[in-house]
Amino acid sequence: MAKKKIVAATGCPTGIAHTFMAAEALQKAAEKLNVEIKVETHGQVGIENALTPQDIKEADGVIIAADKDVQADRFHGKSVVDVPVAKGIREPETLIQQILNGQAPVYYASDYKGSGEQDANNVEGATHHTNGKWIHTIYKHLMNGVSHMLPFVVGGGVLIAVSFLFGIYSADPKHEQYNEFAALLKEVGGLGFSLMVPILAAFIAESIAKRPGMVVGFIGGLLASQGGAGFLGGILAGFIAGYIIILLQKLLKNLPRSLDGLKSIFLYPVLGIFLIGIIMKPIIIPVTGLNEGLMDFLASVQSTNPLLLGLIVGAMCGFDMGGPFNKAAYVTGTLLLAEGNLYFMAGVSAACIAPPFIIAFATVMFPKYFSKEERNAGAVNFILGSTHITEGAIPFAAKNPIVVLPIIMLGSSIAAIMTYLFKVQVPAPHGGFLVLPVVTGAFQWVLSILVGSLVGALLYGMYRKKAAQKKKIEG
Amino acid sequence: MKQMIQPEFIKLQATASSQQGVFQTIADIAVANGIANSAEAVVEGLKAREEESTTGFQEGFAIPHTQVDEVKKPAIIIVRTETGIEWESFDGKPAFFFLSLLIPKSEAGTTHLQALSALSRALINEEIRQAMLTATTEIELAHIVSQAISREDD
Repeated sequence: MAKKKIVAATGCPTGIAHTFMAAEALQKAAEKLNVEIKVETHGQVGIENALTPQDIKEADGVIIAADKDVQADRFHGKSVVDVPVAKGIREPETLIQQILNGQAPVYYASDYKGSGEQDANNVEGATHHTNGKWIHTIYKHLMNGVSHMLPFVVGGGVLIAVSFLFGIYSADPKHEQYNEFAALLKEVGGLGFSLMVPILAAFIAESIAKRPGMVVGFIGGLLASQGGAGFLGGILAGFIAGYIIILLQKLLKNLPRSLDGLKSIFLYPVLGIFLIGIIMKPIIIPVTGLNEGLMDFLASVQSTNPLLLGLIVGAMCGFDMGGPFNKAAYVTGTLLLAEGNLYFMAGVSAACIAPPFIIAFATVMFPKYFSKEERNAGAVNFILGSTHITEGAIPFAAKNPIVVLPIIMLGSSIAAIMTYLFKVQVPAPHGGFLVLPVVTGAFQWVLSILVGSLVGALLYGMYRKKAAQKKKIEG
Repeated sequence: MKQMIQPEFIKLQATASSQQGVFQTIADIAVANGIANSAEAVVEGLKAREEESTTGFQEGFAIPHTQVDEVKKPAIIIVRTETGIEWESFDGKPAFFFLSLLIPKSEAGTTHLQALSALSRALINEEIRQAMLTATTEIELAHIVSQAISREDD
């Protein structure tokens, strides 16, 4: 059998000691295991014993033992073990064994152009390991969007909530409650809120395709948000935008190098925004159509039975939290309110208040399984929920919609069903608990919401616990 | 190359019993031998590097190093303490054999840096580690290190 060949790159921030210890350790281990190895060192002196494209091509695998960038793009398509430099010193044999046993995942650089060209392309150099786990990659992109969206939700939401303290109609200049300061709060808060979906889309795309992706994602998110496609539309827009840029990068790969500058400042934004528009527009239309159909349907179900109605309203409000389904239920409630039906809105409100409460209670009941940032955001959800701002739950739901949305829908449904069974009447279309004084059956209403929220919180907390334990075992 | 390691740069049976003490001992040797002009700066530099990540290796070896303006010429200073000191080494064992690499900020030539990296590589070699551990005099140890750093890189 021919001797296996491995290439490696080592590097540490100072580039004096560990880089070379790791290199030596790997060489010794390779000798012992009868493997041919070539180790490139990224030391203070610069790159020594540099790997040639030929070396990389012939290698059976690559070991990166570095705490700094060693231009991993070169290893596109190879089996790569990527570890901190200390691991290279401590367990070099294990690393080599991983390559020999075929346990090393294949590395993909998204913008591979061959060695030596990476530096010119750092704007578009979005590299990511797939590790064969595409779900993890999607999760990473989603999280990038969510973490950037969170401050907008909290900042905007709290200001809107504060404006309600001045009265539910305090921002309406025609109403007697009108207060100039409250109107200002609601305006700026609302502005922050309205950027939520575009920011989500922008930073999902940014995670996929760096700055060119962000631009296109932002526009896609704006289209989704203005077209009424809500946060689900935003997630869709973000991913589409990111992959539009990846596609463009592939298509424009063969343009001369001298056009690189033109690409990032002209070609990507112009073509990208054009394409996202073309793609998003037709997607938004069916969503909006669906939206209107649902409204008609809801009004007809209202007369049938409260259980079914509660289930539907709860599921709709919890499904996209501020998106088209939620809004369809909400608008229906408002319209029925105008016709003197105070029952329908009570269920809608309960179902809209429950999701942020589910999050808030879960972070209080299961603090161990939430990060500090999440616990703080969870506390804010008490305020948001109390004021009928469902969107506070979005950042949590967006992390894993497939599991979290059904939990929230269930909690919302319980709250809505109980509200309908208690025949609670709510005369205001917004404001949450601030309108309690005018609610008929206020106690039963709050009880319904709390029961729904606690059930949801329990389930969500248990899910987080399970997820955390699973992670522990895997890690 | 010989100037980088001399018997005067080595202190066996040092009394330091803490990380701070070890850094101070290294810095004092550096100043006394005209390697650096500020003991304080050397201590700070070593400490800053240590905070980034441990320089502890294994079997009691550690390689604290720094590159600061106050170091005037590159040198290897060796301190061997009587007691082991917790250094967050890979094998969890306390460190007692400190090979400290001091490099001037302005170090342009690559020769010295290569010598230092050669020393780092040498540490992986068990025979050289054993030889260092069994050396009983400063002169003997200086000779071993000097040979290790001028060893041809393969």
